[in-house]
Amino acid sequence: MKNAIILKTALIACLAGLMSIARAADALAESDMGLSKTSVFDVPTPAPFNYQGVMPGGNPVYKRAYPGAPPQIPHNIELMTPVKATVNYCLSCHGRAEQLSQPLQGKPTPVPASHYTDLRHAPDKVGNKVVGARYVCTQCHVPQADVEPLVKSKF
Amino acid sequence: MSITRRDFLKTCLAAAAAASVGIPLSPAAQAAARKVDEGWRWDKGVCRFCGVGCGIQIATKNGRIVATKGDPDSPVNRGLNCIKGYFNGKILYGEDRLTQPLLRMKDGKFDKKGDFVPVSWERAFDEMERQFKRAYRELGPTGVAVMGSGQYTIQEGYAAVKLMKAGFRSNNIDPNARHCMASAVAGFMQTFGIDEPSGNYDDIEETDTMVLWGANMAEMHPILWTRIVDRRLSNDKVRIVNLSTYSNMSSDMADLEIIFKPQTDLAIQNFIAREIIKRDAVNWDFVEKHCVFATGPYDIGYGMRDNGKFAFAAEQDTLAKQRAINLDAAEAVGQRRKAGERVQQTNSDTAGKHWLIEFEHFKQAVEPYTLDYVAELSKGDADEPLAQFKTKLQQLADFYIDAQRKVVSFWTMGFNQHQRGTWVNEQAYMNHLLLGKQASPGNGAFSLTGQPSACGTAREVGTFAHRLPADMVVDNPRHRAFAEGLWKLPAKTLNPKVGSHITKIMRDLEDGSVKWLWVQVCNPFQGTANANHWIKAAREMDNFIVVADAYPGISTKVADLVLPAAMIFEKWGAYGNAERRTQMWREQVPPPGQARSDVWQILEFAKRFQLKEVWGEQTIPGLKDEGFAPNTLPDVLGAAEQMGYSPDNTLYDVLFATAENKKIKWPDPIAKGHDNHTVKRLGDGWFVEKALFDEYARFGRGHGHDLASFDLYMRDDVRGLRWPVIDGKETKWRFNEAYDPYVTKGSGFEFYGDAMKSLPSGDLDAVTNKELVKLDGKAKIFFRPYAAPVEQPDSDYSMWLCTGRVLEHWHSGTMTRRVPELHRAVPTAMLYMHPRDAEAHGLKRKDVAWIESRRGKIKALVETHGGRNRMPRGTVFVPWFDEGVFINKLTLDATCPISKQIDFKKCAVKIYKA
Repeated sequence: MKNAIILKTALIACLAGLMSIARAADALAESDMGLSKTSVFDVPTPAPFNYQGVMPGGNPVYKRAYPGAPPQIPHNIELMTPVKATVNYCLSCHGRAEQLSQPLQGKPTPVPASHYTDLRHAPDKVGNKVVGARYVCTQCHVPQADVEPLVKSKF
Repeated sequence: MSITRRDFLKTCLAAAAAASVGIPLSPAAQAAARKVDEGWRWDKGVCRFCGVGCGIQIATKNGRIVATKGDPDSPVNRGLNCIKGYFNGKILYGEDRLTQPLLRMKDGKFDKKGDFVPVSWERAFDEMERQFKRAYRELGPTGVAVMGSGQYTIQEGYAAVKLMKAGFRSNNIDPNARHCMASAVAGFMQTFGIDEPSGNYDDIEETDTMVLWGANMAEMHPILWTRIVDRRLSNDKVRIVNLSTYSNMSSDMADLEIIFKPQTDLAIQNFIAREIIKRDAVNWDFVEKHCVFATGPYDIGYGMRDNGKFAFAAEQDTLAKQRAINLDAAEAVGQRRKAGERVQQTNSDTAGKHWLIEFEHFKQAVEPYTLDYVAELSKGDADEPLAQFKTKLQQLADFYIDAQRKVVSFWTMGFNQHQRGTWVNEQAYMNHLLLGKQASPGNGAFSLTGQPSACGTAREVGTFAHRLPADMVVDNPRHRAFAEGLWKLPAKTLNPKVGSHITKIMRDLEDGSVKWLWVQVCNPFQGTANANHWIKAAREMDNFIVVADAYPGISTKVADLVLPAAMIFEKWGAYGNAERRTQMWREQVPPPGQARSDVWQILEFAKRFQLKEVWGEQTIPGLKDEGFAPNTLPDVLGAAEQMGYSPDNTLYDVLFATAENKKIKWPDPIAKGHDNHTVKRLGDGWFVEKALFDEYARFGRGHGHDLASFDLYMRDDVRGLRWPVIDGKETKWRFNEAYDPYVTKGSGFEFYGDAMKSLPSGDLDAVTNKELVKLDGKAKIFFRPYAAPVEQPDSDYSMWLCTGRVLEHWHSGTMTRRVPELHRAVPTAMLYMHPRDAEAHGLKRKDVAWIESRRGKIKALVETHGGRNRMPRGTVFVPWFDEGVFINKLTLDATCPISKQIDFKKCAVKIYKA
């Protein structure tokens, strides 16, 4: 009985879903399309946002987009950027332990071996410092704000 | 959050837990990686985004992309991608992909005021054809237009240009790349007589000095930037200079940062030239053998309309300067005239003309550009002491002049999107040529490009209103004859009158002179300056707008018909990057639903036209050309019949499915099991992308533009080749005897481009001797003066507005904003401003502010934190990727009058709290 109710409810939801798709498919107004659901003549007000994880270590790591994708940064990086030739605060925690002045709190994701390998000049060698081509961390790794996706991804 | 960086570091470094370190992947981890990999098919591809042209590897499984990675074998990027590049796969999978044609309808009929209703391709093409023929009958070839793209594959661009120019006899095809590198093209053509850079990316590893002029490479060319950073960090002698109107991420690695006022780069370049002469550093051996001096008119306007008929009331004052200006004090000095002098802009339509001058003229022209004058004029940060700024300018000149240094100058939109974009490009060559630091490893002025195939397609294929493939142009009878020969067209089929550039097409929509438009692979209604005019024209004028796209954006919203387009790896294609590298890929996955490739769309549409509908006599208003009756393209149907065509033949048969092309059969072993939906849907068994590429490649062979065969680029061991490709070998440095087989033996260098290589002579003001001098093998060193921006901040609109991109998003954001990771990285376009400016306007960080120009107003969130951009007081920056922060409603549609490229980098705005 319980199952039947669930089934019925699911079926109704399903049908409603289908009907709304069917309606939408009939005619779609321009103000229902795109990432800003407005007319092109309107002026929307942007919503404020914050980057997640005030302090490093306070937020769980994010799932990677796919195997091999660079991990996103689970904390705010305002205090650690910009990355400069003379100073790279990211490496203060994510670099090699023996090169840090003091031990660390938490479990920062370590820079992997690939980042110590110069694929252009010495592809078979793992060096002892992060290679120049990977020095500016924010070219691949970015923090994440507390906002919902604009549209879902089916990737 | 109120902790400081110091607190953070203390906490971070203080306590106990041991750090994990970078360790090589363990055998177990490697095995795990392999397991994930099982059943994946890897194949080579090219990044969809910027002009760098990184090689990628694409993994597919069951008809879907499951992963991508930087291609370790690609010499461009050696295994790296930037944050966007890693999402080449994911951009295909936004939930709101367009998967069926949508037509505005009411009561079952097309209605411009109707909502979008899904229709079949048949119905879509029927309406598109009906509307095309209506506009074409009423207005002729100039009444229809195509907006193309620097993101077109080579084959798409080639098919589009052939259909428009050879089929419809219309030159109204122009790409968004006009907004991206038209000034670079004009600079190349006028200086060298041939387009595209002499050097290549290896210059980065060869040089020791890299100067960025309006190129925030850290965000816009991220992987080239990783090469630059690598070079800088691995060699103590290497120096990086960043010239910009605000401090940005490229400044973070720079040894010298120069913040200048908008458009004063013209003066800084002349200061360097003056220093070169003053310090007796001209490389006379190089200059005398390989260069000449030249200049052109100064009174060339600003590429705006010359009347205010369609202008908003607030726009009239800026627009009036198209006809005449009062010289300000600074430009009067730079142009050797009197401040306040009224100057009619008499050369607005002849801005590109130029003539030879003597070195003594040149020396006299740069003489006013003293350190005092230039520093006073160009210092862009009000808080920087003048003495410090002067020292920096001198250091800059030192870097260029130092005989022990090699120098590469890089630029992109800072130069190209500039009211004197062609001039400032030419000035970069001016200094490199004076020093002889051009066209050799590690030495050269290097114009970077913004889009993945702005070079490969827009420029090389010639999808511009004035161009044909391989640097040929429609207003040159020899070039037209060549194209007509290769395309097997009757003589005088091609229209000799240059068509409308992309901004003019927008203006044509507004004034009703274009009534049918097809937008391909771009989002021009978001991307064109002064957008309020164009979105209104699209929605309210009597016209029919077709937009082919993968996702709905601003352009689809103002369309009448939306065509669902296949995305990059859903079709076969080829791109050409900024170092002349042509790269190809296979179709990896099928397009969703009824989405189809642009090539298929173009070819299917061509089936709907018979020769008799397009090759009869046509009216072209304003056509005046030798051998043509005024305003008229001749009837060529008779000649066509003599060539064996029937008036009933379709444009598909005559232009595309030719006997020769049909010999190139699908399937082809080169596909290695990959599909081709374009070929299958066309259904007549020829390998369209291969046939079109090999046909196109014939345009460039034998005159410096040689491309290899389709099959060579497709080979597994090839990661693109830099043209000219002679006997299967690429050319790394053009015009240099050691590398370029086109250079005459024994000459050392030879600038062999042949466009505009026959000039009259004169002085700094005018031609004095009309006799033409031939300049074979020479490059031109131009004198170009400082000119003030047409619109500047005043008491009402008090701030400079600069626009551009951010690292995390591509162009108008329709792809990258649908990747949740990228959206969360930069959720909205911010208004970057100096904290004191914010305070003065009663604003604080994250407040909503109104930004208003003479042309429109929008809202954005205030950003004063300097992690990305640090603005000088008086200047704000807003990126353009966000359709909700529609910044191009505010920007000014002034262009470089020579290149017709819009200046998106400077206009005046006011800001106030919302």
